[in-house]
Amino acid sequence: MLLQLNNIFKWVNSGGQRIFLLKDINLQVEEGEFISIMGPSGSGKSTLLNVIGMLDGFDEGEYNFLHESVHTLKEKHRSNLYKEYIGFVFQSYHLLDELTVQENLEMPLLYKKFKGSERKAMVADMLDRFNIVGKKDLFPAQLSGGQQQLVGVARALIASPKLILADEPTGNLNSSQSEEIMELFKQLNQEGVTIIQVTHSEQNAAYGSRVINLLDGRMI
Amino acid sequence: MLKHNLLLYLRSIKKHKSSFLINLVGLSTGLACVLLVYLWVADELDKDKFHENDEQLYQVRRNVPIGQGAIGTFSSNSSLMLTALQEEVPEVEMATAVFEIDNKVRLETEEKKLTAIGNMASEDFFKVFSFPLISGDKHTVLSDVSSVVISSELATNFFGQDLDPIGKTLSIKVGEENIDAVFTITGVFEIPKNSSEKFDFLLPYKTFLKHRDPDNIAWYSNSSSVYALLVPKTDINAFNQKMADFVAKRNKYLKGEQVLFTKYSNNYLRGRYENGKQSGGRITYVILFSIVALFVLAIACINFMNLSTARASRRLKEVGVKKAVGANRKSLIFQFLSEALLLSFFSLICACLVVGLLMPWFNTLTGKELNFVLEGEIILSIVLITLLTGLIAGSYPALYLTKFKAVKVLKGKIETSFGELFVRKGLVIFQFCISILLIVAVSVIYMQLDYIQSKNLGFNKDNVLVFDRQDALINTMEVFLEEARQLPGVVSTSYMQGGMTNFSNSSRGHTWPGQSEEDKEITFRHAHVGPEFIETMGIAMKEGRSYINEQPDNDSKIILNETAVKVMGLKNPIGTVINMRGPNREIIGVVKDFNIQSVYNEIAPMALLCRTEWVSNLVVKIKAGEEKTAIAGLTKLYAKFNPGLDFDFRFLDNQYQLLYLAEQRVATLSKYFAGMAILISCLGLFGLAAFTAERRRKEISIRKVLGQSTSQVTIMLSSEFVKLVLISILITIPIAYLLATDWLSQFAYKISLHAGYFLGAGIVALLVAILTVGSQAIRAGNKNPISALREE
Repeated sequence: MLLQLNNIFKWVNSGGQRIFLLKDINLQVEEGEFISIMGPSGSGKSTLLNVIGMLDGFDEGEYNFLHESVHTLKEKHRSNLYKEYIGFVFQSYHLLDELTVQENLEMPLLYKKFKGSERKAMVADMLDRFNIVGKKDLFPAQLSGGQQQLVGVARALIASPKLILADEPTGNLNSSQSEEIMELFKQLNQEGVTIIQVTHSEQNAAYGSRVINLLDGRMI
Repeated sequence: MLKHNLLLYLRSIKKHKSSFLINLVGLSTGLACVLLVYLWVADELDKDKFHENDEQLYQVRRNVPIGQGAIGTFSSNSSLMLTALQEEVPEVEMATAVFEIDNKVRLETEEKKLTAIGNMASEDFFKVFSFPLISGDKHTVLSDVSSVVISSELATNFFGQDLDPIGKTLSIKVGEENIDAVFTITGVFEIPKNSSEKFDFLLPYKTFLKHRDPDNIAWYSNSSSVYALLVPKTDINAFNQKMADFVAKRNKYLKGEQVLFTKYSNNYLRGRYENGKQSGGRITYVILFSIVALFVLAIACINFMNLSTARASRRLKEVGVKKAVGANRKSLIFQFLSEALLLSFFSLICACLVVGLLMPWFNTLTGKELNFVLEGEIILSIVLITLLTGLIAGSYPALYLTKFKAVKVLKGKIETSFGELFVRKGLVIFQFCISILLIVAVSVIYMQLDYIQSKNLGFNKDNVLVFDRQDALINTMEVFLEEARQLPGVVSTSYMQGGMTNFSNSSRGHTWPGQSEEDKEITFRHAHVGPEFIETMGIAMKEGRSYINEQPDNDSKIILNETAVKVMGLKNPIGTVINMRGPNREIIGVVKDFNIQSVYNEIAPMALLCRTEWVSNLVVKIKAGEEKTAIAGLTKLYAKFNPGLDFDFRFLDNQYQLLYLAEQRVATLSKYFAGMAILISCLGLFGLAAFTAERRRKEISIRKVLGQSTSQVTIMLSSEFVKLVLISILITIPIAYLLATDWLSQFAYKISLHAGYFLGAGIVALLVAILTVGSQAIRAGNKNPISALREE
């Protein structure tokens, strides 16, 4: 088992009222799964993803990741944990405009104490694998949306994470670009990477092995 | 990682050139100011510190009651002080006396004649002070009555570089002291650059004593400076207490006089005394300019902080992404700090270039010979200053930008908090407070200087030539003046002891009818002057007559100034016989008060005596418009009396201006500093305004769509900043008023402050701010609203 959420609650206080963002979430994810989280706007999809990704905290409940209880860990341990095992893919790619494709790929490695030569090898490997060697010296603004997201996925994968979290990875892409990215996810999943994606599209959800539906912070 | 961050930084500079330039210009200017002031301050602090015995080296001063409860501090001492200290005071290890010759002295070899500045110093001079001797033995160079020690510069001028001057002879005439003899060179010294005293030669003090009228070798005759090396670790306060009545107990007329030992190397920076106590001096300006330079740098740092945090949105995505891929806060803080450091080192390079270019200009401005050489200590200091600048400027943005959570940043949910706005506005207010303060300072200093120079001095300083009584003129002064009076363009001629800018000779213990016991303490200034002196200087008579057609060396007459008559309490002064500088003098006239020192001091009681003795200067009044003819005639006449000597004259009004050189330099320097402060502040404001316009683009568009006009938008945007400047004005005015009052209090004659100075400065700051912000606001107001709304 990769991760397990037990009775997770998350809320904000607004005007003396408690507004629940997540309510009593229970979820188990096995290694090798491909899960799609679906639901209308404001149902808590992204919040759930961020909680799983440890970018955001929660107010009640238990979260175990690879037999470590995340809710009791110190900030530093937590960040070490997700640094090592989790990769993120964002809807609006979030590549750094001032860096080239190659440098964007290298960036996560800088925070993981790899040697210069190792980093070079890993970046070259990734460029090769995603067939973007020719674009390595271009800046994000010089790429199409699909190509940018390709780089985004490559960046998420570069440190060989066990889990990829993707928040509407195809939200800004046209249909053929979407298809390309989803095919890529499917292939990665077959290679053993666990994937959790947030999506609006039934078509994308169909790539996954399991669908979780959320409404007003509750799993239904 | 470093390479990666560097790359990121360089590319973002390329992309956002304007904020980079604003920061670079601001920080370089700030650093350049600090560097210039650093060089200046280091030089000032180093003055006179080269003497090996600096810690033990003291000057002997006297605190003397000068009437009406006031105490004057004098550095002149009796020549008897030297031997008394040497023989009777165990705490004094060694002492030396120096008599300063007022005028330039003429020195001659058979081939060459030169004029130079010289002193007469007692034997231990080179042991007490550490002026390096290139040749000669420091124990004996001044032992012989006919020896002379000259500076290496003078030696070169006389004998060239190669010739050894030791044993050569110079004939020297000192008019004041009736010295006219041949002296043998026994030593050559050098004056280090950081010495506040400059002199070209030294004669033995014995010579001075030999030629002095024995009547004037007494405790009441103060002519020499006396310096002493105290035994190491002497408790100076206890010692001063012990020595206080040293002079008073030796002469009954001198009771009330207190001896005071002050550290010699403090003279330069802390040389001003008020009522017997040390009170500032140049140190005030050293501190003042250090603070001002730091303020200018602070203003530049504030620009950096404000622009970095205001434009945070640009960098927040980077922070978010980096945090999401695993960067911790520490590494991000490190990244932002190193960017700030990099910028400050770029600025340092620019600042060094600027300082290098400005050095000659700065030297003329400050009257110094500073060198900007990058070596050991300077490098260390400027690197430290730069590091500190970078850290201070970078710390706030670094802490601010990295505190956000990745999720929030990436979703663009960052709101500017109240606290953040408060800090930013507070910093802008601080910048403008300093700018306004500097503008007020500049205007007050300028107005006061103007006032001093146009003030009615009680004498007419225009068209008066002053030149030394030297060489042949020592004996033929009166013949010369008689002939000069006949020249075309010459109005009148006379002579005087000392200069119009400083009548320093003083005495007390005088008696007059109706004098009370305590009035015996009153100190009077006095000067020996020639007939027609009062007319030549255009001094007004209050009553009686002047010395016109008077026989010189007349021992039975005296003229007083108004203040003297007032403090003496004489009802009908004319015809009264008093004892002052000699018995039974009849007061023949009273002159209206005229300034006898700088306007720092109130006019003191003064007596004018008609005598030729000790006269050092000749004065000639010439007709306005006929200066050329008069000077040409005088030059010819001078050459007749003094063949081979240049007619070296000064205009009295120029001399008078020199008196306020320090104030003029301060005025010019503060003018530039104020200019820089306001420039950098406005740069910052410009950047902030541009940013605000950008941030509120959507709001402005919506307002315009709903019908607000361009001018309304402009006013709305400008008013935000105008408010800040108004607050700064309100905060600054009371502070500026207090500081200005404090500065002016050192002048006896000063301008009265009125609201105009403060409001004027505020209006200048406000106008500059409105112009800066207005241009940005108009640009924002004129934009097509649709383009902004479509982007959203």
